[in-house]
Amino acid sequence: MDSIFFYRNLEIVAPKDGHLQGVKIAIQPNISVAGWPTEAGSKALLNFKAIEDATIVQRLRQAGAFVCGSTHMSEFGFGLAGSKAGEALRRQAADVELVLDLMGESRLAALHAAACGFKPSYGLVSQFGLIGLIPSMECCGLLSRNLKNIREILQTIAGPDELDFSIPDEEIPNFSPQEIDPQKTTIGFITEPQNELSNDKEAIFRYSVDELKKAGFSLREMSLPDFSLFSLVHKIVGSVEASSCAGRYDSVRYGPRALGTKNWNDMYLLSRGAAFGLLLKSYLFQGAFFQFENYGAYENACRIRARLLTDMQLLLSQADFLVFPIDNGATSGASELLADTYNQFASTVFANVTGQPALYLPPVSGAAHLGFQLAGPRLSDARLLAVGEYLLNMRNGGK
Amino acid sequence: MEFEAVIGLEIHVELNCTTKMFCDCPNRPGDDPNVNTCPTCLWFPGAMPRFSQEALEKASILCLGLSAELQPLSAFDQKVYYYPDLPKGFQLSQAHFPLACGGGIDITNEDGKTKRLRLHHIHMEEDVAKLVHEMEGRLPISLVDFNRAGSPLVEIVTEPDFRTPYEAMEFLKALRTQVRYVGSSECSMENGTMRVDANISIRPSGTNQMNTKVEVKNMNSIRHVGDAIAHEISRQSACMQAGETIILHTRLWDPDKKLTLPMRTKFEGPCVPDPKVPVIKLSPDWIEKMRSRLPEMPAARAERFVKQHGLTDEEANFLSSDPEVARFFEALIGQGIAPRTAMHWLITQLIPAVKDRQLDLSSSPVTPARFASLLRMLSQDEINANAAREVLVYLFDSDESPKKIVVARGFQQVSDPKALDGLIDKVLTAQPETVAKVRGGQDKAMGFLIGQVMKAAGGKANPKIIRELLVKKLSEIL
Repeated sequence: MDSIFFYRNLEIVAPKDGHLQGVKIAIQPNISVAGWPTEAGSKALLNFKAIEDATIVQRLRQAGAFVCGSTHMSEFGFGLAGSKAGEALRRQAADVELVLDLMGESRLAALHAAACGFKPSYGLVSQFGLIGLIPSMECCGLLSRNLKNIREILQTIAGPDELDFSIPDEEIPNFSPQEIDPQKTTIGFITEPQNELSNDKEAIFRYSVDELKKAGFSLREMSLPDFSLFSLVHKIVGSVEASSCAGRYDSVRYGPRALGTKNWNDMYLLSRGAAFGLLLKSYLFQGAFFQFENYGAYENACRIRARLLTDMQLLLSQADFLVFPIDNGATSGASELLADTYNQFASTVFANVTGQPALYLPPVSGAAHLGFQLAGPRLSDARLLAVGEYLLNMRNGGK
Repeated sequence: MEFEAVIGLEIHVELNCTTKMFCDCPNRPGDDPNVNTCPTCLWFPGAMPRFSQEALEKASILCLGLSAELQPLSAFDQKVYYYPDLPKGFQLSQAHFPLACGGGIDITNEDGKTKRLRLHHIHMEEDVAKLVHEMEGRLPISLVDFNRAGSPLVEIVTEPDFRTPYEAMEFLKALRTQVRYVGSSECSMENGTMRVDANISIRPSGTNQMNTKVEVKNMNSIRHVGDAIAHEISRQSACMQAGETIILHTRLWDPDKKLTLPMRTKFEGPCVPDPKVPVIKLSPDWIEKMRSRLPEMPAARAERFVKQHGLTDEEANFLSSDPEVARFFEALIGQGIAPRTAMHWLITQLIPAVKDRQLDLSSSPVTPARFASLLRMLSQDEINANAAREVLVYLFDSDESPKKIVVARGFQQVSDPKALDGLIDKVLTAQPETVAKVRGGQDKAMGFLIGQVMKAAGGKANPKIIRELLVKKLSEIL
């Protein structure tokens, strides 16, 4: 298990009361648990032990869940290189995994683990105590074999937090079980993402759309001509935010602080140089380039982001949910190249740009396809999960 | 060639909030180093900024006090730079959408004319940590004190409306008065709660050119701001005369050598919106609520003092420049004291006495009620001015009423002619030469006689009665 876990909670805890009693949850070391090493996968935070519990940890424990440890993660959760997300589920070491989702990591990890993966609406779950990289895009994703777990955990961790003022003042979805009438539910499928798939993958995706049809949902073909811009916008806006926010990871208090330098400017340069891995460094360089050398491109990307958000809202005024293919790209995981990483997440990154909830459902066991993603409007999280649960029930032979 | 200067100011004002801007730590930068800190203001991984409502209110009232227009929407950005006073790597500041725009202050310039000096905008930002440079033996070391990290600041950015050091100094004095008035800050350059940077460029007089500016920092009094600007104008003029080009850079004022020296600038780039601090939306109702908390501003108050109480402009300006003094004055009027008496005794006696004892008007034991009761005895001739000054001293050391002090210590004025008769006779007998001078029509000599009688009466006699009696007696003897 050491190959999966970065840190294991070896406490023997008597089961606590609460509706999550006995649920074993693996987190990642970007989520603060007081006293636990919390290095977020980066040398820049070497030896950093969290001082306070993250709000989600405090809420999970209060509900009786057992936080069993943290799994190895990619540097600041960016991409899946070096990540063991999904492995704890696969090896049955946990019932649920919390995985930082910056560009689709929780959904792709779920694909590898043949489990369900959910990225909640942006602003639904407190970020207090979470270490991240791209504040306007990232949130805590959830992986589990069943959606009931995900639903109940969200019920526990979602909603206002007096320690996180960034949560908008909105009505929190009710995560109790709800009825779905497929005949009254329209699911749109957008043609553009399919154009980027190879022929056989497109055929595989058609297979998933068929499953929705068979379940009785009404399907509607739609178009989002600028779909390919999601990646580009994420690349520019995300890298600028990362470059600005990662300023705090200066490797002076934690991480490999350079010794014997002439002055503090040199000390900063050398320490930061030694702190970050190749992938993250190229990302931060890219962000710094846009921030300092081509700010206009950043401003344009922000404008395009706003337009994409409007486009998406328009589509979701004509359909209740949208179905998207998922594709783990040509390279399957460990590339340290920025371009490869973005290719890998081309099918998932849209939900991080818009902040909408997205659910990955694995294929019917034994089927050849890759599963698919369902996405809904902001704060439709509970209904989206209900649709997922309905589909999984159908696979098990109906109600 | 004649040159004129184009000057703009950037003024940082530290708000006197109880907590820091993004956490609940006490906003007391002067405490022992690093006691007022938490994971948020130490910028630990995972910490979240929690914007303080108090900071927003104090900043907003400050903006309204300077007639700036609060914006319905403002937001915080990340201002990136690397320096040990900012381990987070960025400062939260409002670069793109400031809290308020416009506004200005009227001053009287060297020519005696009223001049409006306009503000460009006012934005909020967090302060950074303080660096302390020391020697450890022969090794220079730098220490970081995070008490100040996250303290709430506003930055007031003016238009380049200033032409002379005098205008800048008058502006800063008026700004200080107005900000103190609204109660948002002490605005002391000496204590660092007001910090001023000046941007200065010069151009041939009478033209509209906007030339390359030079920023000057490190002035810690209003006078230094004036001196630094004056020095910079002559330095730049000399450069221009010599045909040198002015380059954009920052200079530090050296108060000992009285000159500016170039400094290494910090690397700063464009700001990126911060997604973690919520956007600030101010409703018209909320803005009106803040406006209703605004006290009467000094200029308006001075005008009212002239109209209502018949004071001169100078007296009214003095009384209204400090809100505590103005409040005290009005409290005395409320107790029925004549405005001129109140003004005179407040300015010449009470304020110096309070200062001598290192107190404030508000914390001094001489409350408006006690001071008024003293002045009432004076105006009703129960005591004379000498006695009033002495009783004032007792008022600081005892909490007895002025009346009791006067009675217990025998400060009552002697106005009974019978009691004074004998004393006057003695003085007249002892001073035949002076008596002769009075008779010769010398008024000064009369004053001397009054003084002698007062001295004989232990300072307690009523000078009006003495004069009456003296006049009567001298005419009788004739």
